[in-house]
Amino acid sequence: MNSVIPPEKRVTFTFDGKTMTAISGQTLAAALLRNGIRTLRKTRKESKPRGLFCGIGICFDCLVVINGQLNQRACIVEVRDGLIVETQDGVGSS
Amino acid sequence: MSAALAAADAGAQVLLLESNLRLGGQYWRHLPENGLNSWAGQSALQSDYQKGFLLRNRVSSNPNIEVLCGAQIWSATSEDSVTVNFLYDGVSHSFETQSLVLATGAYDRALPFPGWDIPGVMTPGAAQALLKGSHVLAGKKIVVAGTGPFLLPVANGLVQAGGEVVGHFEAQRLRSWISHSRIAVRNFHKVFQGMRYLRLIRQERGFAVVSAHAGVDGQLEFVRVAKIDSDFRIKNGSERKIYCDVAAVGWGFTPDLSIAHSLGLNFIEGQDGYPVVAVDALQRTSDPRIFAAGEITGIGGSDLSLTEGAIAGRAAADRLQNINPTVTLKSLSRARTLRLRQRKFANTLVKIYSVKDGWRSWLTPETIICRCEEVTAETLKESLVSLGATNSRSVKLLTRVGMGACQGRICSRAAVEIIAAEQKMKATVEDHISAGNRPIFSPITLGQLAQEPIAYDAL
Repeated sequence: MNSVIPPEKRVTFTFDGKTMTAISGQTLAAALLRNGIRTLRKTRKESKPRGLFCGIGICFDCLVVINGQLNQRACIVEVRDGLIVETQDGVGSS
Repeated sequence: MSAALAAADAGAQVLLLESNLRLGGQYWRHLPENGLNSWAGQSALQSDYQKGFLLRNRVSSNPNIEVLCGAQIWSATSEDSVTVNFLYDGVSHSFETQSLVLATGAYDRALPFPGWDIPGVMTPGAAQALLKGSHVLAGKKIVVAGTGPFLLPVANGLVQAGGEVVGHFEAQRLRSWISHSRIAVRNFHKVFQGMRYLRLIRQERGFAVVSAHAGVDGQLEFVRVAKIDSDFRIKNGSERKIYCDVAAVGWGFTPDLSIAHSLGLNFIEGQDGYPVVAVDALQRTSDPRIFAAGEITGIGGSDLSLTEGAIAGRAAADRLQNINPTVTLKSLSRARTLRLRQRKFANTLVKIYSVKDGWRSWLTPETIICRCEEVTAETLKESLVSLGATNSRSVKLLTRVGMGACQGRICSRAAVEIIAAEQKMKATVEDHISAGNRPIFSPITLGQLAQEPIAYDAL
């Protein structure tokens, strides 16, 4: 399951500056988990770490910043080449 | 998909709005079929993969069905016509119809417990979506727990994909089946499937994950599992630690009623006390223009959903052609017989795998109830005592429970029950319905809202 990805199916993106790879068609949350990332954001009030919970786009816990856009649900967004992903701090700042 | 095909077969032009990026709903999640994501690879992950594959192909190749994937419905109203507003490609569109089939499905029912907000704790549906939709194992050491037949294929899928399931716990004991043995015998093929899963993977029954604990990195390090009685209360001294990086915990399903609610449809009490959309033998709701099929009419699984979808699609199409409903009823008699049998079995399963009140005894004052707004059990209860809240609506206004990003989808079912219990009452269907009031169902920016929606009329 975690084997080498052939180039035509490989997607490269960054997470908090680190380069990662994934299979095209995977969700960003899946790609991050595949690369060992479980914590995606810190909560607004208590700065508690949160990660994937419902996996289907309804709990809004997997929020990350993608290419500068806040509140993106990682479990819904498909991973694409060149995405710049960052952990979201609370509601972030714009 | 089933409804769209039935409606198209009956002569209608169909617009299918699918919120996910690919057809298939939750059940038939998949990676695009090409190269790496070979047939063999994908069908190894799901026993009836072919069925889903064929359905998807029939839908996408049908000239009378237009499919929009990634269409996020954010509002729906019913006046002279039924109007659905949806985001597609970042732009808001509106679609008016005189015949709508709602099949908005369900999501895992999560119960709050100490530590359920730690990264690594997720629902069984999340583990399943990762596996089927992205071919990713949620973690290295996985605990599967909660209640319901769904735990079996989840644990089984993880093991088949090479994952290590370090604990698999079902809250009910097998004796819960005894008083329903007649129905079990009538639907033996389904029961047999469950028994086959149990041969492949161990399951400890009468146990539950009652708390989760983080390591120094703030992520899941271990869970505490306890033996529970038939009321879900912990048997003292039975707790043990299980080290894991993922705990997939789920307690059946909650139907997604946001759109049905917004359209003003009538609800009735479901088998587990939660509301479901009221429908008749043709899957017609209280609004003759609107039909409902699948989980929103009662949790029941994919086979029942396919049957109900076929009835709803046919009935919705016939309505547009002004065909007398008695004629429709007659032509659907076989489907209706099947639906009755499947519905009866599904209802029995919901009863057997019911959630007992003892889960509330696992909560501590610091347990987060509303994840989005970080509202604890203590805050909820305090609002009733010292802030003067008298019902779940005022608790919501005073504590913000249910007012966060998920709009109560995750917390409100449990919050309503906690509040009712504090007032020594039982949560009613009305309590749940009013907690599920969400005029906007999906995030939309002010910019998108400000634009005039584009009327969608490609059909």
